[in-house]
Amino acid sequence: MVNLDGSQFGGITRRDALRGTLLATSALVLPGLLASCSSSGTKTGGTSGATVSGGAPDWKQFQGTTLNFISENTAPSAAIAADSAAFTQKTGMTVKIQQMELAALVQKVALDFGSGGASYDVIYADPYQVLAPYYKGLVDLNVFAKDKSLPPIPGGIEDFIPSQLLTTGRFLDETKLYALPYDCPTMIWIYRKDVFAKFKGQMSQALGFDPTPSDNTTWEQYYQIAKWFNDNKAKTGIPYGTGHQAKQHDSLMCDFSNILTSYGGGYFADDTKVGGIGSTTPGKCMLDSPEAIQAAEFYNKLLSIANPGSTTWDWNGADAGFQAAQMVMVPNWHEYASGDVAKFGENVGFFRLPKGPKRSASIFGGTGVSINANASEKQQKAAWLFLLWATSAETQVADLKSKVGGGTPTRTSVYEMPEVVQNSKWPSTMPNLLATGAAREAWKPENAYLRPKIPQWNQVDTVVFTELSKMLAGQQSPSTAMKSAKQQIDKIVGA
Amino acid sequence: MHSDDVVTSATRNRKYPLGGPSKGGTSSLSTRRKKSRWIPSFELRMMLPAIVPLAVLSLIPFGYLIWMSVSKVTLIGGVSLTGVGGDNWSKMFSDPAVWASWKISAFYFVATVGIEMLLGVGIAILVHERLFGRNILVSILLMPMFVAPVIVGLLGRFLTDSSFGLYSWLLRFVGIDNNVLGSPRTALAAVVAIDVWEWTPLIMLITLAGLSAVPQPLIEAASLDGAGYFKRLWYVVIPSISGVLLVALLIRAMDAIRFFDIIWITTNGGPADTTKIIPLRLYEIAFRFFDLGYAAAIGLTMLLFSIIVANLFVALLEKKKGAAQ
Repeated sequence: MVNLDGSQFGGITRRDALRGTLLATSALVLPGLLASCSSSGTKTGGTSGATVSGGAPDWKQFQGTTLNFISENTAPSAAIAADSAAFTQKTGMTVKIQQMELAALVQKVALDFGSGGASYDVIYADPYQVLAPYYKGLVDLNVFAKDKSLPPIPGGIEDFIPSQLLTTGRFLDETKLYALPYDCPTMIWIYRKDVFAKFKGQMSQALGFDPTPSDNTTWEQYYQIAKWFNDNKAKTGIPYGTGHQAKQHDSLMCDFSNILTSYGGGYFADDTKVGGIGSTTPGKCMLDSPEAIQAAEFYNKLLSIANPGSTTWDWNGADAGFQAAQMVMVPNWHEYASGDVAKFGENVGFFRLPKGPKRSASIFGGTGVSINANASEKQQKAAWLFLLWATSAETQVADLKSKVGGGTPTRTSVYEMPEVVQNSKWPSTMPNLLATGAAREAWKPENAYLRPKIPQWNQVDTVVFTELSKMLAGQQSPSTAMKSAKQQIDKIVGA
Repeated sequence: MHSDDVVTSATRNRKYPLGGPSKGGTSSLSTRRKKSRWIPSFELRMMLPAIVPLAVLSLIPFGYLIWMSVSKVTLIGGVSLTGVGGDNWSKMFSDPAVWASWKISAFYFVATVGIEMLLGVGIAILVHERLFGRNILVSILLMPMFVAPVIVGLLGRFLTDSSFGLYSWLLRFVGIDNNVLGSPRTALAAVVAIDVWEWTPLIMLITLAGLSAVPQPLIEAASLDGAGYFKRLWYVVIPSISGVLLVALLIRAMDAIRFFDIIWITTNGGPADTTKIIPLRLYEIAFRFFDLGYAAAIGLTMLLFSIIVANLFVALLEKKKGAAQ
């Protein structure tokens, strides 16, 4: 494995390179006198003046460059921003990180593409809202991966979790690479372990099954557990059993998609392909299928007993509600683990989501980092170094230790590090790792769910969460909601 | 024309290159008139440095907006426009979602502006009557107006949160246990209330300025004629400040048409689209779907609506001024 530590590449500087070049030139003129001096093996390489020592490119070849990185305000980016001094130390470059809400990011990136300029060199490329609609504005990273004047991907591209690489990095063409996997939030079941343990006996007796989250727990059982907690709030001191991110927002689509897929429904006939490599022609929408309608009926039923705040919560609101002890369980992104652990310590538990009649399905929300195709060649190459650093094993481990949150690794090798393995159990100095057991279970092909990666996703997403919101408000039945969504989506995708 | 005539005319032109005097000097006068028509007046020349940038900043984008509204706009590799005729306009007129948003906007417009006017004028009259501590009271009452709308939205969201919101907790005491921003029955009323909380002080401030200008002898004369408090208010004070009230109404109406921040932060247009007023719909189409051609058509109708409303109020003001004279 290539180590990101510059010392391994010989610590070549521009001055060393220049000296080497002069010596080599002189050696050609005066071979008899200076032949021995030219044997240092140092030479210049690439258009950018990269220096190579034994095939190892210089990490400081773009020293003094400033990069602009636009990112969603996520825990991993907060950690990267806090740790950016390490990048400056390694490369001599400065990175300015702008963090904002995803919708604002999408807007700014699209307008930047529209301007034909490159206000942002590095882009947090959400696969659905940036990559699919604007992949033509992103650089094919294979160009840099093959460029000998630039460092290669540490550990190789195969070190990234394959399904995440496919989802976050590629679109339409498997030979092209638009982004490197950067974060990997996945929806899991977050619950109060202490409350479950305390009332396990009573619940088992009343419900007729063991309520402890297990591989066999179904969504129907989840509903019954939530209802039991509602009915026994006086005993538990917690007003509701479950809470959801059911605001008229992207979060509502995410929350519903888990149930939709676990019931055997889907947005399009070939959801696996459309969610994986993506498509521009996904075909007819399948939301009017009996499975989808059944899923909507169940979701409507589940939300009817959920914390009423659910219809005003996105993922942040749902987590805040959980931390405020307003419900015992919540399906949410696993990257909220560190905050939940900080609040409840070992009393918070994580498990992959329950099963439906078909399977368990946990929506994946990971994102990659890309390079703006409008940036200059020099900026693009400099940005490549940032991508390598930000997604390297060393940085991902540093993120796990970050005091400002941090994400979870997108590389297989990181999960195998002894330090990481050790901290995946309580007590842990890397609290986000406590949820990765559940997340890794959710990433298994039989449990993973990847939403459609299509250029029209923003419109489709809006139709889905608007129709669901109308359903939850009691304005239409689950069947009408699904049929109405199907009709609109077919029009949007031209099916 | 004879050759002599040609020579005479040429001579005259050499002597008077701008036309020169001829037949009693009428030609000179008309030339001067022509000249003054082409050379801007001194005042206009002084205003040009302000007018030119203003025209560049408003007329060019306006023309571009019209062009966009009849085009399909693509962003990748720089903005490019492909003509689609009236497609965006026909789509807009047949889009039930846009009509639904206009209906919500109309309700929102009438409710916010109406309540703010009533409360603002009412509070201003009460404050005006008070002699002791009036300045302190006015300062306190004006506070909401100085908070950024985004912050007001966040405050509204936190205060009405069903888990830890103070207002939710208070509402439970009067038997209202539902989630005000999460229920279609209460969400619109809640965002109207938040807007009213923020902008009623502006109406109050403008009205107070009007009230302080009402001639005292007029009120005293009305009192001597036996008019009670409410009669004085209705027949003397309100007519005296009606011009100021129209200005306040105009300012708030213009704001209400393009209102965005608070709803975006609190409900995002939901639940069930019940708070999706037309600016939110426009934002969604422009900056979420990036259907900029369609968004341009909707934006232009919003502009037209604003112009109609503004002109209506200005006409009322003119009428009032005319009546006063």
